[in-house]
Amino acid sequence: MPVVFHMAVKDLRILIGDKMGFFFIFIFPLAIAIFFGSIFSGSSGGDGSIAILVVDEDQTDGSRAFIATLEQAEELAVTRLDRQAAEMRVRQGKSTAYIALMPGFGAARQRVFWGGAPRIELGVDPARKAEAGMIQGILTKYAVDVFRTMFSDRDSMLENITNARNAAQAAPDWQGRDALLALFADLERFVYAQPAGAESEDAGGFNGFKPLEIENVPVLRKRKWPTNAYGITFPQGIVWGIIGCAAGFGISLVVERQRGTLLRLRCAPLSRGHILAGKALACFMTIIAMSLVLLAMGRLVFGIRPNSIPLLALAVLCAALAFVGIMMLLSVLGRTEQAAGGIGWAVMLTMAMVGGGSLPLFIMPKWMQSVSSFSPVKWAILALEGAIWRGFTPREMAAPCLILLGVGVVAFTIGVRLFRWSEAR
Amino acid sequence: MIMHNVTQQPDIMIRLSDLRKTFATVQAVDGLNLDICRGEIFGLLGPNGAGKTTTVKLAVGLLKPDAGRVTIARGKDPRSHQVRRLIGVAPQALALYEELSAEQNLVFFARLQSLTGSALRQRVDWCLDFTGLKERKKDRVAVYSGGMKRRLNLAVALVHEPEVLFLDEPTAGVDPQSRNAIFQAIERLQESGRTIVYTTHYMEEAERLCNRVGIMDHGRLLDVGNVPELLERHGGCSLLTAQTNTGSLSARTGDPLGQLNKWQQDHALRSFTLQPPDLETVFLNLTGRSLRD
Repeated sequence: MPVVFHMAVKDLRILIGDKMGFFFIFIFPLAIAIFFGSIFSGSSGGDGSIAILVVDEDQTDGSRAFIATLEQAEELAVTRLDRQAAEMRVRQGKSTAYIALMPGFGAARQRVFWGGAPRIELGVDPARKAEAGMIQGILTKYAVDVFRTMFSDRDSMLENITNARNAAQAAPDWQGRDALLALFADLERFVYAQPAGAESEDAGGFNGFKPLEIENVPVLRKRKWPTNAYGITFPQGIVWGIIGCAAGFGISLVVERQRGTLLRLRCAPLSRGHILAGKALACFMTIIAMSLVLLAMGRLVFGIRPNSIPLLALAVLCAALAFVGIMMLLSVLGRTEQAAGGIGWAVMLTMAMVGGGSLPLFIMPKWMQSVSSFSPVKWAILALEGAIWRGFTPREMAAPCLILLGVGVVAFTIGVRLFRWSEAR
Repeated sequence: MIMHNVTQQPDIMIRLSDLRKTFATVQAVDGLNLDICRGEIFGLLGPNGAGKTTTVKLAVGLLKPDAGRVTIARGKDPRSHQVRRLIGVAPQALALYEELSAEQNLVFFARLQSLTGSALRQRVDWCLDFTGLKERKKDRVAVYSGGMKRRLNLAVALVHEPEVLFLDEPTAGVDPQSRNAIFQAIERLQESGRTIVYTTHYMEEAERLCNRVGIMDHGRLLDVGNVPELLERHGGCSLLTAQTNTGSLSARTGDPLGQLNKWQQDHALRSFTLQPPDLETVFLNLTGRSLRD
């Protein structure tokens, strides 16, 4: 065992001396996690909400009330700006979109039965269409809310009928106006027959009216969202670091063979198991060290608060073992340093892209999401997220962890069996 | 005491018996039989591709022979851990961790041989001193000259104080100064009684360092003996060269004086040189080609 330890320490010394290797294993994943974390924090409120700029060109009680409603919305993080500043920020890519409440917005909301609809201008960064669609949906939701208020509040209903009737009477004569005015009169009589005041719990009549009732079911048991965007990007960063370790150490075995140091190791009183175990231990120790560095940074600097430290330790352990196995398999696939490096990174990048290491799985096509289950990257991210913010129970952690362990054992076994001391026997 | 006649001294350190190894269609080692005694420096002399390195790899157990047997230290398998502790190998291709310093390389390989504590420290210091690398022991090997790397390659082979040393072309690609330092180091190792197998294609090295020399070509051991024996068996005549007023004359002859008298009858001789046969001549006579072909 001491020999295996000495082998691992030697590899760690070499890694520390290799500035590029050190960068890609420790600094690059951290940079990825911070970079994307800050981007997502920038385009959102930091709590999963979408940041949006609001321009009030109506300046009425109605427009101010609507903006106040948006400011209360969980889904949005609202910043009020004038039009010029808002357009500038979207053009520069600093914000996803702005909305401008156009003149007449407040008046239109007070006469929903007649006249034009309240107008909102949505200025969107064309590169972020998906977020623009989400913003439209959220705005529609709060715009429709006016019907709920109106139909559930007698006074509001009467005010709307009065406004609509006045507007209809003021409009040029058109066929059917008399019928509409008669309808308003009937409606007004009906509303007068309802109890006065705002909505009540009573579902009869207009009271309790809701155009659609959506019940939110908390999918995440303990926390609805990660503490912040870094809670999503740090698990991805850790996985990228693990990928870097596996690819790097996979190459190192080929490098040893090419440089002849493997030959010298064979001349020492060591077994093949000693040498491979030493390499695996070095890779494992590096992954653990890198994960600890990233998690410590995440906790101390970026406010990530894992739900469960023991489960997080389990997730890191299983991910490390899986990729140590993959490292061993990769190390036997290439005959030269260049071939091993190319194969290693090609395999790793494919696994990362398919497994959600680059793009979130939910925006991938369905078939791709199915394929992602074959990527250990998916399970590593899921295990880490499960422990950090998804609030997984130990039972829920079992699936990703067992899959990772299985991948590690299978890959390690194949790698050891395929390992050759040299190309010529 | 170094014994050249193996039949009189049975203390055989290395025995290669009918060793054969083929790579694809190339017969790298072809029926090689050789005994090397304890304390002997044995030279394997041959051109590139003669099979010297393959023979060393077979001898230390890095390659499995297609046929034949290798035993070291009274019949032991070279692949056993016990024998691995007895042997040191300086491969022809430098086998060092260039990202580490000389000292870190030596400490690492010493630990693999189970050296610890003060014993390890002493051996590392001795090796650094022995190879003249003490002043640069903290420098990364990557910044060393070719000669310094060669010396470190030798030091790593020595760090666990092996009884048997395999030096595969230890002076390949080094400057004359480093080559001389390596020669002196090997001569000191010889004085300490180690058994050394030394492969080279430089006949000067074999003549200077080796007690016995095996001439190898195309995987076969053509002859074995000490240098005088080989010269006597295969050296042939000395090369006599004379300068005349009109040019030069040369001839291989066993009677230089008679040849000079004969030339003097027809030419006005100004000077002459007599070059006795060497291992180059031996190789030429054995194979029909030069060592450097």
